[in-house]
Amino acid sequence: MSRLRAIWLVARRELLERGRSKGFLAGLVLTEILVVVSMLLQASLASGENAIRVGYVGEPPASFVSALRAVAGRDDGTTEVVALPDRATAEQALEQDRVDGVLLPGATPDQPPTLLFQEQPDSRVVGAVTEAVFAIRLSEAGVDLTPPAVESVVPVDEGDSAAFVVANVGVIFLFISIFSFGYWVLSGVVEEKQSRVVEVVLATVRPRDLLMGKVFGIGILGLVQLVVLLGTGLVAATAVGRLELPPTTFPTVAMLLLWFVLGYVLYSTLFGVLGALASRMEEASNVTTPVSFLAMGAYFLSIFVVLNDPDGLVARIASLVPPAAPMVVPMRAALGAIEPWEVALSVAVTVAFIYGLFVIGGRVYTGAVLQTRGRMRLRDAWRAAR
Amino acid sequence: MLEVRDLTKRYGSVVALDGASFSAPTGRLVGFLGPNGAGKTTTMRCIFGLATPDRGETRWRGRPIDQPARLRFGYMPEQRGLYPRMKVGEQLAYFAQHHGLSGRDARAAAARWLERLGLGDRSAAKLEELSHGNQQRVQLAVALVHEPELLVLDEPFSGLDPLGTATMIEVLRERAAAGVGVVFSSHQLDLVENICENVVIIAKGRIVAEGEIDQLKRSSGRRHLDVEVTGGDGAWIEGLGDNRVLERRGDRVRLLVEDTIDLPAALARASAAGTVRRFSFEPPALSELFMEAIREDEPVTEGTAR
Repeated sequence: MSRLRAIWLVARRELLERGRSKGFLAGLVLTEILVVVSMLLQASLASGENAIRVGYVGEPPASFVSALRAVAGRDDGTTEVVALPDRATAEQALEQDRVDGVLLPGATPDQPPTLLFQEQPDSRVVGAVTEAVFAIRLSEAGVDLTPPAVESVVPVDEGDSAAFVVANVGVIFLFISIFSFGYWVLSGVVEEKQSRVVEVVLATVRPRDLLMGKVFGIGILGLVQLVVLLGTGLVAATAVGRLELPPTTFPTVAMLLLWFVLGYVLYSTLFGVLGALASRMEEASNVTTPVSFLAMGAYFLSIFVVLNDPDGLVARIASLVPPAAPMVVPMRAALGAIEPWEVALSVAVTVAFIYGLFVIGGRVYTGAVLQTRGRMRLRDAWRAAR
Repeated sequence: MLEVRDLTKRYGSVVALDGASFSAPTGRLVGFLGPNGAGKTTTMRCIFGLATPDRGETRWRGRPIDQPARLRFGYMPEQRGLYPRMKVGEQLAYFAQHHGLSGRDARAAAARWLERLGLGDRSAAKLEELSHGNQQRVQLAVALVHEPELLVLDEPFSGLDPLGTATMIEVLRERAAAGVGVVFSSHQLDLVENICENVVIIAKGRIVAEGEIDQLKRSSGRRHLDVEVTGGDGAWIEGLGDNRVLERRGDRVRLLVEDTIDLPAALARASAAGTVRRFSFEPPALSELFMEAIREDEPVTEGTAR
């Protein structure tokens, strides 16, 4: 039987056993719900913030509607002007929360209009309507109201804020996925050792193949979960109009998936190799603490340093450090602050590192996985496998 | 035939195997005996490539054992273990596939062996839901599910109730009769004496006795003399020559004697002392051969067994 078949059998077992487990399915459904609900929540809050609904007793003059729209438009908001026949219907509309405020024109053109609220006056509405009323009066008086032209020294990309959100959210997803699925590999290795089944398995499967199969099987689950989450997130975001997706979205997503694969394989292999040194789960957490810190360090580096200075020296160096690259490179890519050759070099360095990890880690795993008496030292495991 | 040649393995300063060599024929049950720490498990691990010997090799059917050959072996390690939360039937099929069976053949073989071991209705149960005895049966099924050419079982009888023991014996005999090589370790020497034709005895990493049990018994220079004399005072034993009292119960005495003893003379002495109700002359039991074999072994100079 070929080694590939053995690896595939191990991977398939992980896929089936874990993919069917209630833990995986419940986790997937729960995170799905969280993503959708948070998107909807943000959307509803956002729409409430920026929309101004003003009632107008009588027929609103076109000058008022356009002036109000111009004022609100500066804040990316929308306006809605509702014509109301009289004060009684206006009060009713306020009561039913169909409008935020109602403008009552003065009895004569000289008399100032009144802005009516249900209870607490909404300062945004007061500001916008006041400005609109002033603008009409000033233009009637012949004052030129052409606003100053707005320019930036550094040209602003329309998609920038969206790219920022995508980068941030993407790296969070990436970190959580790498960490949680890496931890599955760790617990899988320890469980096999603890239940002693590993000796039966290793009677037919080479240790390195067992580790690879495990990493790949769980990795496929992780990839499925990440694709589903990112997919739902993007679809939900677009659907509720929360986010105008920048044109770089799909390259960004592809980059996230690529780096999930690399980062996951790197970290889960580290977890698996070190986990083999332990003989119980409690020991395993201790043994792998340095790896957890490494992963968290890379994440914090990404969101605190790289995010603020995506093409600075730290970011450039971190992109070539394999344990940091999976968090740093997709962040820089999402912000459009990385050259293609840098990405290629970073991928090459990380793949080489992973290969080395398989060779060195495979030997440690081989030496450690059959030793069931307590916690093993790295050096002893290395020597035990010959 | 399984051959082990000059197997040597150290763990640090501990010598687990010290040039162990033996061969085990197929078609019969071979008991692999030795005190704890003698090197039984390490030998088995070397056969399955789970431990790499410092020196020496293992051979099957005249060729060095490699990974493809191992796929046709069945193994039951001393430390029992399967996936606790995996369904029994799927688990068996999984291991069968690792031994090279196709998915369909693996499922059929799994069902067949579960039926054979009386677990036909538990195929969909998780392993952890089974009783201890039934988990042991599944463990045996894992070793058998791919119809191996060679079965290597580490302490297969430990922890089995009489019913489980009977099933195990039946299955092992059946496999041996089918021409399979069956090697198993055990501390239950009486059981081994009853069911095995051959034994290999290991002590401190070296093979100290090997061959057919009957042959080993015959070639032993010692015999048991079991005599019951009523009315005597037991003093007749003096003057029998070189002997050692193994057991004395009432009028009955069991003696360890040389096989060159003058039996007619001994019987005459016993008859003179009283009425002889029993007088039997037998080769020693396997347990005595075992004790003898491991005592003769000189301690290895470097390190001690754990």
